[in-house]
Amino acid sequence: MGQTKHSGARLAVIHARFEAIVRKMTNTLFRTARSGVINTGRDFSCCIVTAHNDLLVTAESLPIHVMSGPDLMAKIMRELSPDLKAGDAFLNNSPYHGNSHAGDHSLLVPVIDAGGTYRFTVVVKAHVADCGNSVPSTLYANATDVYNEGALIFPSVQVQRDYKDCEDIIRMCKMRIRAPEQWYGDQLGLVGAARVGERELLALGDELGWDSLDAFESQWLDYSELRIRGAIAKLPASTVTVANAHDPMPGLDEGIPIKAIVTVDPAEEIVTVDLTNNPDCVPFGLNLTEATATTAAMVGVFNSLGPGIPANAGSFRRINVKLRENCIAGIPRHPASCSTATTGVADRVTNAVQRAMAELGDGIGMAECGLAIPATAAFISGTDPRRDNNPYVNMITLGQTGGAGTPWSDGWLTIAHVGNGGLVMRDSTEIDELMYPIRIYTDRIIRDTAGPGRYRGAPAAEVEWGPTSNAMEGIWSSDGSTFPAQGARGGGSGATAKQFKRNLDGSLTPLDAFGGTKLQAGESVVGISSGGGGYGSPLERDPARVALDVSEGWVSVEQAKDVYGVVCDLDGNIDEPGTSALRAA
Amino acid sequence: MSGMRYAIDTGGTFTDLIVDDGEGRLSFFKSPTTPQDPVVGVLAVLQVAAEANGRSLPDFLGDGASLLHGTTRALNAVLSHKTAKTAFITTMGHPDVLLFREGGRTDPFNFTRDFPQPYVPRALTWEAPERIGADGSVVKELDERRIVEIALEIRAKNVEAVSVCLLWSPINPQHELRIGEILADHLPGIPITLSHQLAPMLREYRRASAASIDASLKPLMTDYLSRLEGELKAAGFGGRLLIVTSNGGVLDATDVADAPILAINSGPSMAPVAGLYFAQQHTGSTTAVVADTGGTSYDVSLVRDGHIPRTRESWLGDRFYGHMTGFPSVDITSIGAGGGSIAWVDDGGLLRIGPESAGADPGPACYNRGGNRPTVTDACVVLGYIDPDNFLGGKMKLDRELSRAAIERGVARKLGMSVAETACAIIELATQEMVHAIEDVTVNHGVDPTSAVLIAGGGAAGLNSVKIADRLGAAQVLFPHTGAVLSASGALLADLSANYSEPAVTATNHFDFSNVNACLDRLKSRCAAFAVDAGEGALETKIQLSVDSRYVGQVWEIELELPCDSFDDASDVVKLVRAFHKQHEKLFAVIDADADVELLNWHARVSCRLHTIQPHQAEERTDSASAQRTRKVQFSTEGEVDAAIIPVEALKIGGKVAGPAIIESNFTSVVIDPGAIAERLSDGGLLVTIERHLATGGKA
Repeated sequence: MGQTKHSGARLAVIHARFEAIVRKMTNTLFRTARSGVINTGRDFSCCIVTAHNDLLVTAESLPIHVMSGPDLMAKIMRELSPDLKAGDAFLNNSPYHGNSHAGDHSLLVPVIDAGGTYRFTVVVKAHVADCGNSVPSTLYANATDVYNEGALIFPSVQVQRDYKDCEDIIRMCKMRIRAPEQWYGDQLGLVGAARVGERELLALGDELGWDSLDAFESQWLDYSELRIRGAIAKLPASTVTVANAHDPMPGLDEGIPIKAIVTVDPAEEIVTVDLTNNPDCVPFGLNLTEATATTAAMVGVFNSLGPGIPANAGSFRRINVKLRENCIAGIPRHPASCSTATTGVADRVTNAVQRAMAELGDGIGMAECGLAIPATAAFISGTDPRRDNNPYVNMITLGQTGGAGTPWSDGWLTIAHVGNGGLVMRDSTEIDELMYPIRIYTDRIIRDTAGPGRYRGAPAAEVEWGPTSNAMEGIWSSDGSTFPAQGARGGGSGATAKQFKRNLDGSLTPLDAFGGTKLQAGESVVGISSGGGGYGSPLERDPARVALDVSEGWVSVEQAKDVYGVVCDLDGNIDEPGTSALRAA
Repeated sequence: MSGMRYAIDTGGTFTDLIVDDGEGRLSFFKSPTTPQDPVVGVLAVLQVAAEANGRSLPDFLGDGASLLHGTTRALNAVLSHKTAKTAFITTMGHPDVLLFREGGRTDPFNFTRDFPQPYVPRALTWEAPERIGADGSVVKELDERRIVEIALEIRAKNVEAVSVCLLWSPINPQHELRIGEILADHLPGIPITLSHQLAPMLREYRRASAASIDASLKPLMTDYLSRLEGELKAAGFGGRLLIVTSNGGVLDATDVADAPILAINSGPSMAPVAGLYFAQQHTGSTTAVVADTGGTSYDVSLVRDGHIPRTRESWLGDRFYGHMTGFPSVDITSIGAGGGSIAWVDDGGLLRIGPESAGADPGPACYNRGGNRPTVTDACVVLGYIDPDNFLGGKMKLDRELSRAAIERGVARKLGMSVAETACAIIELATQEMVHAIEDVTVNHGVDPTSAVLIAGGGAAGLNSVKIADRLGAAQVLFPHTGAVLSASGALLADLSANYSEPAVTATNHFDFSNVNACLDRLKSRCAAFAVDAGEGALETKIQLSVDSRYVGQVWEIELELPCDSFDDASDVVKLVRAFHKQHEKLFAVIDADADVELLNWHARVSCRLHTIQPHQAEERTDSASAQRTRKVQFSTEGEVDAAIIPVEALKIGGKVAGPAIIESNFTSVVIDPGAIAERLSDGGLLVTIERHLATGGKA
């Protein structure tokens, strides 16, 4: 190839063009999708993979979706279907073929130019509302294996030829996926977004020349690598082992220990995350996939290095994630279920990695983030007497607080979970009460539940909800009810999640963390999310921030004094000498 | 109505005035904005105009029929935290409505920004013991004794304004109204905003946010508007003072003082109004991208099929980090890119532009006011786009060597490129960011930007708008003759208008005829009352009805214009469903033919046209003093060429100039790239047609 060498200026312009294409894909899916999980939850991602199966450009997508997976699936598509043609499209939701959990449908389109040369693969991944599971939820923590989970699995299956649907596949899906029209609407959105990406990339190649794009590709990946190398070179050389644990499950009463061994080699400018010392796959839906295990580790590293490093195959060259087969945080062996592979254990891995990074030195890493998915954000189902007793099922997206303290800022309040990064939108009480026969009694943060620190975590939230008339069932998988999000560098843990049933007499009965309950009119669930961990010693927290937390009701006067060493009144007036004396002691 | 009209737009740097003499002649004036007391700047610019007309101010103002005023006073107060100390009363159990907002975040790996503070602190938030249900029934009675206590607690905190937003108040306002009464009794003189009166729509965060922003602006805006009115009167103005609203209309100053949130986007909201007018006037197109280039920001809006775009999701400050107004506003996307944006090289060797800006002070390096970092303006100076001796008609001298040195030191050396190449790259990257912004807006609305006309307003628009149009694939770009004062010129075109809303929740499969018709009747009679009262003497009055609608099960609504003004029978409902499908397809490319449609909030907009618009007639300069000059100008595709430099007045109406050329006026210079042809229009504007695709040097 007659190698063009782009200047730093030209590189920026061409990158902006690629980013524009991914944003167009993103916009297309966001406005065409029918499922709330896509058009409110923003649970989808679009990206461009090179002809060498390297991730090149992503848009603002969920971290847990975008980093590893698209590359693996592109590679698998090309291995399994070597004669790809323009107009083809493949569906992959297989945990064993590069995808995340089966609820994420990934659509891959090969981009082949007029001369027949393979140029790119565009990948669109979206969490669909249903994937044909044995229960009406795509997140089935109690699934014993993939058969019990029940999802239709597509290990890179052709769904379009010559730009037209392969009707037999569509028919199959419509017979097995709940709300088939909603699913098909989402499928159309996926195809539409991928085709927009394909069209735009071909036009860009025509306009700028393919040589120029080839040169961009290698230079952009090198640039990204240079950025992460610079960041890693500043870190101290060290190996840190951090352990935490997923909450207990039936038969695993001690919980599931998760361990990340993080080695930073600033001389070689590489970070290694070893996840091979984790337990074998478990008979639950908690196992990670190769893509989510790799990504969970990388999210922890990226969260720790500060902003500005492009996330693509270039920067990934400097993150070495070690996995092993048949491991809960590794490469699953069929038929292990990976139904919750984007939350649960994945969040524990990310938390362990970013906390390990924090132990390297001040200004690096993050504390642990509160966990998913609490009873504040339950799947609710029942019948609605206001609508001829029609059945309903949906997730209420409320109360998922608990962002982690960082070296730069307090925990992000509406984070949802660490793999989401806070991109999710939240429900309106009025809209929920309009759509379902539900009443949201409370929706508020809880004082003294944030992990204290120089930068504290985000507090837990309480959401109390219940049916207004007919019976209602609620289901959740509230990790973080036993093992809290831990602080880093002397920061404290966040409060654990909790869930109770409020009985008709007003009394509270504790409920299981993984499960649900049936409610009659007048009864309710009090869901409490977990708080995020703090970063750094609370004694180093700026007294003005502590005082603001007190006057704003996030922290009590007592906690300010006992934990933060700040003496102040309820209005946030600081007793300076008292504080100095207390902090000096 | 006849007599003079004055349109005054108080911007960040300049206060712009356009005077319409009532006979189709427009003249423009500028004077520095006086941020401490903007009234001073308003009177100063009027004084400039009076002097230019050789008249005293009272004499000049005595001819004034109306003064239309756009102001960023309210917005600036919010952004600089200078609003009144405000208390917020919410339903028991829901104290964190303003804290949680609606979620969302950008830039997933960037945790350097704190979660935003609520608009009203939790310390000034009170929970009212009460609850209304979704059907409007009282689930829990209001505890009035507690409300009295709350009023006393609020008083003890020296609060200056109060907002009240209870769940479901638009469906049943009785508790909000009662709280309003109790507060009025116990907090005399303290302004109160009740959410159902200001913004009767569902989604409690938006309503609470609107009510709180509104309340917090009342003391300040009441003061500002009454003082403005008083000082204008004292200076001799006896006409009507109309304030530009966020919604792209104008309203009497007293109405705006009652609900100052209406003026939060006053000013910029007028650019699309002007843009639509000029697009229709000169190209016959009703679809236009209207861009306003300022020193620090680039504002883009999309006018589609003659409709001014409006949104209920406009943010004060950055999306997800600022506050949503929850109020209908002209939909404008703003990015931090302008002449002042600073170019730099990151530690990976990549050229970057912004978000840092040199602003007006110290400004670009060439201003010679101590700024030594290279800006987009400096690149334009180096490339010869801006004549350093003739900037703003020669009012300000620029130093080209300072531009060169700043680019050399700050960027070129690090990139290993020549200064000229670097300057080209800076322009190209800045252009790309603006193209991005436009593509986002158009693609979001399903409009192909190649089919739109680009309307380029703002003092710096001429520098790269031809390039932007070219990159978009648009065939035409129009530089209105009022381009440098685009917002002010929009105010002259604006209608007197008001919006009313009411919720009436129903669905097309069990349509509640009586409830919906009653709701529409109330909305229409409020419009009629407005037309009779404020709109007295209007040339034309229009009422537009719309409804927030969505497929059953969807979460986000589309505002749909109603195909009828009442629902007489099932066939009207069928019409509505059809209109919804059509709109959904237009916006989202898909329809769900079998699904029912849910209807939530109903809206009415009344607009009263007060004036006929006389197109301005430009003058042609017949003397030949303007002999053609040329100047060395650098283009990325052609390298350095001798480009013709033409004063705009020297061009005949209908006269054409082929690029490369630069057309200069006292307000701006317009770069006509090679491959583009500019034509001078009858009103003095420029219409540039792109004959060949420049970005590829004509390959396409």
